[in-house]
Amino acid sequence: MHEASLREQLKKIIIEELNLEDINASDIKDDDPLFGDEGLGLDSLDAVELVVLIQKHFGVEIKDMEEGREALASINSLADFIETRRAG
Amino acid sequence: MASENNKKWSSRSVGTPWQHRFFYFLIRLGGRHIAYPFLYPVVLYYLLLRPEERRKSRYYLDRRFPERRGFAALKDSFHMIMGLSRSLVDRALVGICGPEILHTEFPDGRRLADLAAGSEGLIILTTHVGCWQAAMVYLGKLKGPVHMLMQQEEGDIDRHYFEHSGQENPYRIIDPTGFLGGTLEMVAALNRGEIVSIMGDRRQGAKANSLAVDFLGSPVHFPVAAWKLAAVTGAPLAVLFPIKTGPDRYHIELAEVIKIPQQDSRPLKRLTPYLARYVRALENLCTKEPYQFFNFYDMWEEQPKP
Repeated sequence: MHEASLREQLKKIIIEELNLEDINASDIKDDDPLFGDEGLGLDSLDAVELVVLIQKHFGVEIKDMEEGREALASINSLADFIETRRAG
Repeated sequence: MASENNKKWSSRSVGTPWQHRFFYFLIRLGGRHIAYPFLYPVVLYYLLLRPEERRKSRYYLDRRFPERRGFAALKDSFHMIMGLSRSLVDRALVGICGPEILHTEFPDGRRLADLAAGSEGLIILTTHVGCWQAAMVYLGKLKGPVHMLMQQEEGDIDRHYFEHSGQENPYRIIDPTGFLGGTLEMVAALNRGEIVSIMGDRRQGAKANSLAVDFLGSPVHFPVAAWKLAAVTGAPLAVLFPIKTGPDRYHIELAEVIKIPQQDSRPLKRLTPYLARYVRALENLCTKEPYQFFNFYDMWEEQPKP
């Protein structure tokens, strides 16, 4: 999958499957933080779903805090993580 | 979960280190037969001379027994604080003498073992009821490792039961104050078909991650992480209450087994009926065993008192 389309696909999954209202894919910058008060503002309950969604759509598992902290920082880092895992 | 931590309760034990060591010494000397009688002066001290500790017992007791006043109310507080104290002695007893020291019956043990053997993993929902170490004999026989979402507060002097015998913790601890409240570790463990144990009656984080259900007459915000995990991963959720039935006897009650369809994971409110099943089970327990729900903080928060 082309990198740009992977990022768009991730945004679409996050918006649709996490039911984010009043947000379009174009509102999410690739390097915006996904969690916390800044950026997209997802919380730990969203993380439960996001981890399972990543696994379901891309067959990639985020196993622990260290991996998660890096992978779930932004759309960019998540896309990189998926690409690396798929290549490996 | 805890990354948005604003919890209003503390799991820190009361008492000084020497007081705890004194009871550990008594247990080594003669087990509960020696330790239990020494609880009377300690409990009376906290009941009569530490109004703050007595007041903490009233949050729950005023809801459970709204009609009680004066001496009757004081007696309720005594029974509840004594119940907690005995359960702490029992916990240390298990650590020092081994789990076989308690006679525990678990009629639904086979059912729990079958649930644990499933490929979706299993969520065990615990509550501040009785002494969960009484269930250890059974938990140890379940298939796969058991992960516990548990935080030991800084400065807490009470020992975990396994520390008494210098053993390594037989359970894998997931820290709720870690990144995203330990979410990633819990999902990964359930994906491997393992067991995750979570407390169901204490909110660790923001109110946004909770749902309000009536408990003893007024709404209480219960944490919703366990329910979300169950819905998203497909793992069944087992509600366990270890109930003290005699000086050295416990009965483990499998009060509910709840399976949540994935489509009910969003919006959060769709989880309410499942959470309500747990709250009804807890209310039933409070009716049958009013002094075994060890709640010493105001779950009801801004709700008016009865």
